[in-house]
Amino acid sequence: MIDLIAALLMAVAAVTSIVFTYLAVVEKNLVQAVVFSAVQSTMYALIYFLLMAPDIVLVYLPVGVGIYPAIVLLLIKKTDKVDE
Amino acid sequence: MKVTDLVVAASIVALALLLSYAMFLGGIGPVPVRSELRTLALNYILLTYNPVKVVYSALAPEGVTAIVWDYRGLDTYFETAVMFLAIISVVALTHGCKVRIGLGKGGMSLIVKTTTRVLMPLIVLAGISITMHGWLTPGGGFQGGATIAVATVLALVTYSIDTLAKHGIRKRVLLAMRSTGLIGIALTAVALLIIGLAIGVNAYIFQNQKRIGSPLAFPAYFSGTPTGGSLLFYNLFEAFAVSAGLSLAIIVTSLREKEVKETLRGEGVE
Repeated sequence: MIDLIAALLMAVAAVTSIVFTYLAVVEKNLVQAVVFSAVQSTMYALIYFLLMAPDIVLVYLPVGVGIYPAIVLLLIKKTDKVDE
Repeated sequence: MKVTDLVVAASIVALALLLSYAMFLGGIGPVPVRSELRTLALNYILLTYNPVKVVYSALAPEGVTAIVWDYRGLDTYFETAVMFLAIISVVALTHGCKVRIGLGKGGMSLIVKTTTRVLMPLIVLAGISITMHGWLTPGGGFQGGATIAVATVLALVTYSIDTLAKHGIRKRVLLAMRSTGLIGIALTAVALLIIGLAIGVNAYIFQNQKRIGSPLAFPAYFSGTPTGGSLLFYNLFEAFAVSAGLSLAIIVTSLREKEVKETLRGEGVE
């Protein structure tokens, strides 16, 4: 039963991550695109957690949600906010 | 959002679902049976913490750290070296750029600053805890170091690059920390080899516990708690290297246009 719930949660997280990846690719506002990308990272972290890989989760959370969006946002600040 | 966007998103999701269904039915290739554990995995699980067969064991209860820093230590060393090179190249791009105090507005409001001041020590503590339990529970040097670097990001965004520079978090200091970490890892890797050469006993690179043909070993217990031998040192130095390296990358990226342009034009060179 628990296996089934974990598998279902993983499926939901995976599908959500696909949607957010697509949104990050088509979004013209780059700041919003970074936020979508961070949401996708969070979904991946959840999948890794459910696959019982806590070591990867601990890398993925600070890098995927903290450092990577910060670096990209800093770079966006130096250029245009909207992609034309 | 347009209708076409929705249609495209829905069709991508449908493709992914159909592909996973085909995979589930075995249409792409045989699916490994879940209950069966591969011999390699079984060996690692049985030997990671095994006081009876010390010559094959890392004497650390956490399998991932044992594999990363003991069984596959050389791989991890070169991974760390690659990351070091990447950060060196980022620093080289902005060589000679100096933080000029008083360029920015001085960060966010007092409320945000106070909250950050409360949160930052907690994040650093969590990072240290992840590092210092790396050989007992999930976590390790990279994880802890990345968590500590998040505190730098937070400080950089809520305060400003000026405040960090005033408190001594500068490029040169971080680069020195980064190098110390990498040299520490390299020294830990050859420590037993040097001792072995000095006293005339066999030893290996990246040796942790006693191995076949070599009686040397790092201390595996500290007051009754397993330390994983060399894993303790690797995790500590890796946390040093990663936290300093990622902080450095963030600080270099957030240098302001004026500071970089001044250096490029040849004005105000150090």
